This record gives sequence, C-alpha cells and structure tokens, in this order.
Amino acid sequence: MYLPAEPLIKIRARRAFDLMNLREFWQHRELLYFLVWRELKARYKQTILGIIWVILQPLLMTLVFTIFLGQLVKVQTGVTPYPLFLYAGLLPWTFFSNAVSSGSYSILASSQMVTKVYLPRLVIPAAAVIVRLSDFLVASVVLIVLMLYYGVHPGWQLLLLPVLMLELTVLALALSALLAALNVKYRDTGTALPVMLQVWMFASPIVYPRTLVPARWEWAYQINPLTGMIEGFRSAFLGLPLNRQALVLSWAITIVLLVISLFVFRRLEDDFADIV
Amino acid sequence: MRPIVSVRNISKLYHVGRPQNEPPSLRQAVTSAVRSPFARLNGRSSDDTIWALRDISFEARPGEVIGIIGRNGAGKSTLLRVLARITKPTRGEIDIYGRLGTLLEIGTGFHPELTGRENIFVNGTILGMKVKEIKRKFDEIVAFSEIERFLETPVKHYSSGMYLRLAFSIAAHFEPEVLLMDEIIAVGDISFQQKCFAKVKAISRQGRTIFLVSHNLASIRTLCKRVLLLRSGRLHEDEDIEKVISLYINNEEDNGIGASNRELNR
Repeated sequence: MYLPAEPLIKIRARRAFDLMNLREFWQHRELLYFLVWRELKARYKQTILGIIWVILQPLLMTLVFTIFLGQLVKVQTGVTPYPLFLYAGLLPWTFFSNAVSSGSYSILASSQMVTKVYLPRLVIPAAAVIVRLSDFLVASVVLIVLMLYYGVHPGWQLLLLPVLMLELTVLALALSALLAALNVKYRDTGTALPVMLQVWMFASPIVYPRTLVPARWEWAYQINPLTGMIEGFRSAFLGLPLNRQALVLSWAITIVLLVISLFVFRRLEDDFADIV
Repeated sequence: MRPIVSVRNISKLYHVGRPQNEPPSLRQAVTSAVRSPFARLNGRSSDDTIWALRDISFEARPGEVIGIIGRNGAGKSTLLRVLARITKPTRGEIDIYGRLGTLLEIGTGFHPELTGRENIFVNGTILGMKVKEIKRKFDEIVAFSEIERFLETPVKHYSSGMYLRLAFSIAAHFEPEVLLMDEIIAVGDISFQQKCFAKVKAISRQGRTIFLVSHNLASIRTLCKRVLLLRSGRLHEDEDIEKVISLYINNEEDNGIGASNRELNR
C-alpha cells in the first residue's frame, strides 16, 4: 500500500493559532450540503403547515404592527405605505432571528454527531443558518404580492440584494457560532437569547423608521449592524435612496463580530465532545 | 514497512465533576469575570481529575487488525475517540498517513423521516465519504444490507435489524486506510455477523488498518493478529495475543467479579 511522505492527519495536544481551517471546511462542503438537504427534506416531508408557518409568522407580525403602529400610533414612513415598509424590514429580521435561534442550539442538538464522528464543527451552525435561507425565499413571495398591490417597484438598488443577503447571513452565522459554543458550556445562554432578540428587534429600525430616533440615541443605531442592513434591504426592495455610509459601517462591524465569534468557537470546540 | 499510524506518548486527562472555579452559567461567568477579571488566568484548582490514558505509544502497519481490550473504564473508548479526533489528547501526538474512518456508533445522523436511499447519502457524507464515492458504491451498499425492497421507505418504519444492517453496510463500504470500530461488529443475526467478519477480513487484505474495540474475546481471536490491553489507562502488549488475553482475564479476576467468586468457592 502506498503511504504518503507527510501524515494526512496530525493530532497534537495544542492547536496552532488560527481562526478556522478554511481548507478543511472547503473539503467538507458536501457534508454541509447534505446537512442542509436533510433538514429541508425532512421538514417538507413532515408537514405542509411548516411551509405555511414560514409565511404566517412575518404576516401575522405585519398585521399586528400595522394595526397598532400604522393605524393607532400612525407612524410616518414617508412615501412608502406602512405595511410594505414594515414587511420589507420584518422579512430579513425574521430570517435573522430564526437563524440565530436555531443556530445557537445546533451543537447541543447534534450532540450525537459531535461525540461519535469527526467533522469541522463549524458546519453544524452553518447548516442551521443556511436552512433558514429557504424560509426567506418562501416568505419573499408575500413581499412581491404587497409590492404589486401597492404598485411599488424596486430601482437599481435591487442589485445590492446579494451583498445584503451575504452580510445578513454572515452576521447570523457569526452569532450562531458564538452562541452555539457558549451554549454548550453555559446552558443558560439559550434561555437568555429570546429576550435578547426581542430587545434587539425593537432597538433596530424594523417596525419604525430611523428618522423617529432622537439624536442622543443615534450612536446606538450606528454600532448596531442591523441598522445599515435593514435600511439597505428597504432601499433594495422599494427603490428608496441608499445610505452608503451606514452600509459600509455595518459590514465593518459584522466582520469584527465574525472574527471574535470564530475565535471563541475555535477555543471552545475542542471540548465540545467532552462536555456536550 | 513504514507505520500508517504512529501514536507517541498520548495522555488524556478528564475533569470529573465541575472544577471549582468554573462557573456553571453564563450569568455567573460574566459576574465573576467583572468582579475578578484575572481569576480565570490562574487555571483550575480542582483535584477531581482522572488520567483516562497514560503515556500511550504504539505503531500500526498497513493491513493490521488490532484488537483493543480492557475492562469498562480502562480507556478503550477514550483511545478511539482521541484517534478519531473527536476529543483532543492532553499530551502527546499522533500521525496518521491515510484517511480515517470512524464507526463508533451505527447510523450517526440517520433521519427517521428520510428513506433508506436518502440516509445512505446523509450518513455516508457524515462518515467522510465523497458523493462520487457513495454513488459508485451505492448498489453494493444496498445489496450488502439486504434492504433492496425498502430503499424508498422512511427508516422509521425499518425493523431494528434492517436499520443496523443498512448502517453497518454504509460504514463498511467507506474504504479509509484506517478504520476505527467500537463494539459494533456484532450486529444482526448469525448470517449477517458472518458477512461482517468476512468484510473485516477483506478490508485488511486490501492493506487497510482496523482498530477494533470489543468485549467479545471470540471475535477478537478470530479477527485480530495483534491485541492491545488497556488497564487504568496504561497500555500492555505482547507478541503472543493469548498472553495478553490471559492477562486481561486474570486481571479481571484480581479485582472484579472473579475475586468474589473465589471467596464463594472457598
């Protein structure tokens, strides 16, 4: 039998300092694909309600906020009708919050796999986040219907949609990896998450426009990476003017968060199998 | 011939129970970090530790079928988990000159709602196979597992025998240079077990190396030309596998059921 000169697998007590093993992750792309495929296949086999719920969740929220903020409080959203303004923000938010929720439990939920077979553990939260992209696609149908109803059409900004989608996915992955790792070590991470997400939703310009925010809170919106993204999505969908500065800033913060998350994940992943 | 697996001075330390200065929740971790930011840098102060593996070194050559025996808690599974990269050694290093397959459990990642066909692909990629490889061996996997008629049935409707046969068959057709197996050779009925034995022998004839953890000394004797005995995390080996096996059996008597039996006989 032919033996290579260099070992294919080197196991060392100490790990070299790196954020992630990109080559190894790339080698496992088929695994990532099948983990996503397995979830989608199982979901669409089990219930038709699963698909309806994907649309129903943002739709019901749109209904509630339209009644309270649109009709009663009469939040001013400029030229865009409130329901359309709202849905264009809720659509990316719903993806983000669901992706982070399922991503943060992904390692715990796959404990069987983590303790029985070797794989780059990052593929597990990555798969959880990518599965949620299908929800985004399904729920986009409602946006298209609303746009047709109100006669609003997108402008050239729609070309930015892939960039925004990538950024939102990267941010969701960063937080999923961070929280999934912490959740293995500290089980109350998952308990705290729903409240945190709720706060984050109201601290981002999703159900109201940024113009309503008092000047002294402006800084909080600038460091919130979702501000630039949500406004970017609205601009892309509804042809509104684009805030380039906010978009660049949110990318910068997203990258910083990604680096921190990968670092923490890498530090903790060696212990997953022993403590999960 | 050069070794395909080289294990040098591997030790593995486990912390039993929760180390004293490790906070059980994120909330406490944050508050204690705020109160004394440098406390964590001082390291653990827990005495509840166990050396599951102590300074283990050995080499394996292509084609060897190596049995690993020992009492419960002797470190057999820990050794496999370290070799499989599931957990990291505390000390030491290992070099493996080939692809590695692990079969610590049967049917990892099987989804009950998916069909046999679908699970072959999911489980195969989880084990480390390439899709091209799975497609090429698909018919063989199905034939070996004897589930042809149920290929399009969700595995939740499978009998436990069918489930095990399919899972073993997928793993057995993954052809890594080094294969780790934990007590799973004894699946299915007698005729399927015979098939599994034949498969293991065929794999080794191709020059692939197999590590086999088992309590079943009969299957160890049939399959292995070499046996490693683990006692409290230490490795014992001898050219003559019968010597190793008798060491294991006598050791069992020294401080286990055997001792009490002797007292009863007195």
